[in-house]
Amino acid sequence: MNTFASRFSSTSAGAELSKAKAIAMEDDDFSDASWGSEAGYGSLAKGVPTFSIPSVADPTAFLRLHTDDSSDPNCRIKIQHGTTTLAFRFKGGVIVAVDSRATAGSYVASGTVKKVIEINPYLLGTMAGGAADCQYWETYLGIHCRLHELRNRERISVSAASKYLSNLVYGYKGMGLSMGTMICGWDKTGPAIFYVDSDGTRLKGDLFSVGSGSTFAYGVLDQGYHWDLSDEEAQELGRRSIYAAGHRDAFSGNTCNLYHVKEDGWKFIGNYDVSKMHYEGPGDVPGSAGVAYGYDIRVEGRSSADS
Amino acid sequence: MLATANNSLIAGRTTIFSPEGRLYQIEYAMEAISHAGTVLGVLAKDGVVLAAEKKVTGKLLDLTGAKEGGYGGSGEKIFLLNSNVIGGVAGLTADANSLINHARTIAQRHLLTYNEDIPVEILTERLCDMKQGYTQFGGLRPFGVSLLYAGYDPQYEFQLYHSDPSGNYSGWKATCIGANNGTAQSLLKQEYKDDIEVKDAIGLVLRVMSKTMDSTTLGSEKLEFAVLTLDPETKKPKAKIYRPSEIDALLQSEGLKKEDEEMKP
Amino acid sequence: METSFALTGKGYVIIASDTTAARSIVKMKIDEDKVKALGPHLLMAHSGEPGDTLQFAEYVERNIRLYNIRHNYSLSPSAAASWVRRSLAESLRSRHPYSVNLLLGGYDVPAKEPHLYWIDYLGTMSEVPFGAHGYGSYFALSLLDRYHNPDASLEEGIATLKRCIDEVAKRLIVSPSKYTVKVVDKDGVREIEV
Repeated sequence: MNTFASRFSSTSAGAELSKAKAIAMEDDDFSDASWGSEAGYGSLAKGVPTFSIPSVADPTAFLRLHTDDSSDPNCRIKIQHGTTTLAFRFKGGVIVAVDSRATAGSYVASGTVKKVIEINPYLLGTMAGGAADCQYWETYLGIHCRLHELRNRERISVSAASKYLSNLVYGYKGMGLSMGTMICGWDKTGPAIFYVDSDGTRLKGDLFSVGSGSTFAYGVLDQGYHWDLSDEEAQELGRRSIYAAGHRDAFSGNTCNLYHVKEDGWKFIGNYDVSKMHYEGPGDVPGSAGVAYGYDIRVEGRSSADS
Repeated sequence: MLATANNSLIAGRTTIFSPEGRLYQIEYAMEAISHAGTVLGVLAKDGVVLAAEKKVTGKLLDLTGAKEGGYGGSGEKIFLLNSNVIGGVAGLTADANSLINHARTIAQRHLLTYNEDIPVEILTERLCDMKQGYTQFGGLRPFGVSLLYAGYDPQYEFQLYHSDPSGNYSGWKATCIGANNGTAQSLLKQEYKDDIEVKDAIGLVLRVMSKTMDSTTLGSEKLEFAVLTLDPETKKPKAKIYRPSEIDALLQSEGLKKEDEEMKP
Repeated sequence: METSFALTGKGYVIIASDTTAARSIVKMKIDEDKVKALGPHLLMAHSGEPGDTLQFAEYVERNIRLYNIRHNYSLSPSAAASWVRRSLAESLRSRHPYSVNLLLGGYDVPAKEPHLYWIDYLGTMSEVPFGAHGYGSYFALSLLDRYHNPDASLEEGIATLKRCIDEVAKRLIVSPSKYTVKVVDKDGVREIEV
């Protein structure tokens, strides 16, 4: 086959075109030369935004060597893994609640981490897994959501935003990204939640919890959840579930951050101390019964003995 | 990058529009074809018939290879492109050989990917994609070839297509390319019937051929002939490209055999 | 545990897959549809590595649709299965292979025949009268060897499928609670309740 024929054969032409399209979609970091004759539309030398990876033979093994504390407790970088995050959809919108503890191995590195990432006034992302990965990519997602808005004169749907993120992280599959996130918001279809993780999984649903404390949160959440919850009941349920995980999971706790997404965007409801909720309750907040969450305090004076 | 720029500088003129908005190279290619040996195809209810006029003849031409071996035919005008498609070519033989090679490769690649014979229109289209490319890219001359494709696939069953050097293609019930194609087409228009069967189509094709060919002779040395039908046993397409002796026998039985003193052995 | 079954009968293929999406010990979702309609007469159940499954299924879906649009010619079940198998085999030899197991069922309209293909993540393909993937296959295959009937009516086919589901529910420790069941026949693709 001559060079023309091979150049023209649909596979290579198609590949060229798809590459060109891929460039057109990702149009940041473009130098002017990319559009001129110097680069031409088929040149891939410039203009493709990439995420830098360590310049070693096997970046995945390199990352694991320095970050995997389960196989090597003395590793140099410890990625934050313990977390409890949750989000659920109900008739009054979406409730997003998270804890605020950051651990590095057995060390509590911080008790005041913001695990809800405010992507834009209508979109929230939660953070579980690698804190840096979540922060970086969800901020990056925010940029693209804004670009979508400018290009299309309307807000991006939660479905599209989450698919953008999931396709993005799927491109890095097996390279060490660690994320478990819920993209929550309100769009033309109403309240919506998508679970996206670094495996590339993307699930639409009404109720999710992610992180080491998720099983404890599910225990309270599933039992108290139904669609027709009032706003106050829903907020209380989110708070109570994070408390449950903060209490039972060693890698979750400190405080709970609570958000409520409605038609006009998200609103920060409050920050609640887990210990305070244990001994005194969440305080004078809507939906609270004013009773402490701690078991001993809740059942004080009651007994199982026959008498 | 540099190489590409140079390339288009040298050869940018092969196929560019004339001030009147025409592509002369393509028109010249078509002109070349209208002098080539006639190729004629008729689509019947239960098959497709193809016949072609050979131009390269003479008693010194060695045709021993065509008499036995291979899949039939004398290898000038009618070729087997895939087990379900026969191609008839008119135009530059050298260009045609290259196109046939590509067609066969395309068909085999389809078989490899999909584990089925390539549908007729897809093969036609893929070959036309290539022909079209040669009318646009710098440094290249269009193929001076028109083809008839006679084929079968399970979804659209028997089909007959024609493609020209520009990369256009179209489906036909009966058509003709090459020398005297106008005469042949008006004859076909008069005589074609929608529910024609292969046995009648064979007669029609041979009659039209004998009227359109310039020469006074009609025999295997001047004619190639092929029929595509369904095998009654396996229900799979069966391509039959006639050997010279079979063509002579067929002409005899149709009463159309014309002998020439010079060609007699 | 992920489980999918499929079986052919007189003029149809039934494909069933569980509906759970799990991550470690947690069911993240209990109503995920893992049987995709790839065309008017083509169904595919997908299971395996999270992320890969949906990405690959959508890749296949879009490519088959593109073929239909480009050529105005729909791929036969056997052609589609061959293409899918080849895609998977090529992916296996790339830097990031898809780890996906598939059951591909379709109705060949011109030939008036149902076809079922069993494909695993290594690119093994085999045309089968019935097939299964996942832990459920250890129970279902012997059961289908015993009870499958190639010219069973749709009702009988569904009854046989129910046997598989019930057997898995009875014997597998972590058995799926719900299945999506889809049928493809001369009238096209549809979901049914079992």
